[in-house]
Amino acid sequence: MAAKSRRLSLRERGLNFEMLMWLFTRLSALVMYGLILVAMVGAFLMGARTQMNMADVLRWGFLSIAGHIQNTNIPDLEPWATPFWRLTASAMLLVATAHGVHGLVVIADDYIVHPRGRRNVRALSIVFLLLMVVAGLYVVWTW
Amino acid sequence: MQVTLKIFRYHPEVDKTFHYETYVIENAQETDRVLDLLEYVKGYYDGTLAFRRSCAHGVCGSDAMRINGQNMLACKVLVRDVGTHITVEPILGLKVIKDLITDMEPFFENYKKVLPWFINNSPLPEDGRERRQSPEERARFDDTTKCILCACCTTSCPSFWASDDYLGPAALVAAHRFIFDSRDEAAAERLKIISETSGLARCHTAFNCTLACPREIQITKAIAELKLATITGRV
Repeated sequence: MAAKSRRLSLRERGLNFEMLMWLFTRLSALVMYGLILVAMVGAFLMGARTQMNMADVLRWGFLSIAGHIQNTNIPDLEPWATPFWRLTASAMLLVATAHGVHGLVVIADDYIVHPRGRRNVRALSIVFLLLMVVAGLYVVWTW
Repeated sequence: MQVTLKIFRYHPEVDKTFHYETYVIENAQETDRVLDLLEYVKGYYDGTLAFRRSCAHGVCGSDAMRINGQNMLACKVLVRDVGTHITVEPILGLKVIKDLITDMEPFFENYKKVLPWFINNSPLPEDGRERRQSPEERARFDDTTKCILCACCTTSCPSFWASDDYLGPAALVAAHRFIFDSRDEAAAERLKIISETSGLARCHTAFNCTLACPREIQITKAIAELKLATITGRV
């Protein structure tokens, strides 16, 4: 017989930023799988099975922008550049950069011992994250 | 059998930095423990060699050291387990006081932070004898009761090497032991403590602690259970 567990309320146990980011990193990995799946299923529905090779499908899956399929046999790129796909790509971009940069910061803490060094790495990481997001969104919405 | 023992040496009043010294021991047995070899060196070669030991039977946890690069208890590891060329160094991440002796204070400071004692302010049961617990309730934290505070786990953890304010696996194991104890009433308080910046989130699941534990405690699993408890509140 399994032991009965107790449940402690959020007010009792608290939940701080570090643990929320820990949870975010795990959940965002699952969200990325979901977004890739949506993009790949969408690609096959739009004719990828006969007009694209696997590498192009994967490239589209990782970031669903029409630029990733311009060298395939797809005749009309219009359905591949709808706001839905741009939103999917934007979501992927935001989730992936936040997931990746937070992961880098956490790992950097294992190698950078000095508190000031850690602060600098965090600041640089945030700047890097913002630059990547701005550049990525520019590509996604202007292509 | 001949065994070559290379030992980390540092005398704070004489040496500017550490160095290694090599001792050759003739007539060693493959069933000799590394602790036996250290005792031999101290007895016959150099009486100034400093290392901790107490029970010498894997119970007190005093003689944790790095043997051929891995954290072990010198009293539990045999020559046949580690070969005839053995390097012995102090555990990492703590200041070396002399030779193989490290300053354990930061380790115990972190340990104390998780309130590693039984907390129950409710009145005793009516029969006045004991707070009952089923075998299933006891089984939930049985593994983490085995900790002997040798520090093999904490000093094998890369996150602890980088920041000694990180609670470390041993303190988290102690937290697990009490948080999942159905008789204890301070689980919420402990969960708050271990979810601070220098707590659970700094565990990156390297598994070094689990490999290093001489008591074979499933430390990474215990830490994962704590992470889940912090998120779900279920203990």
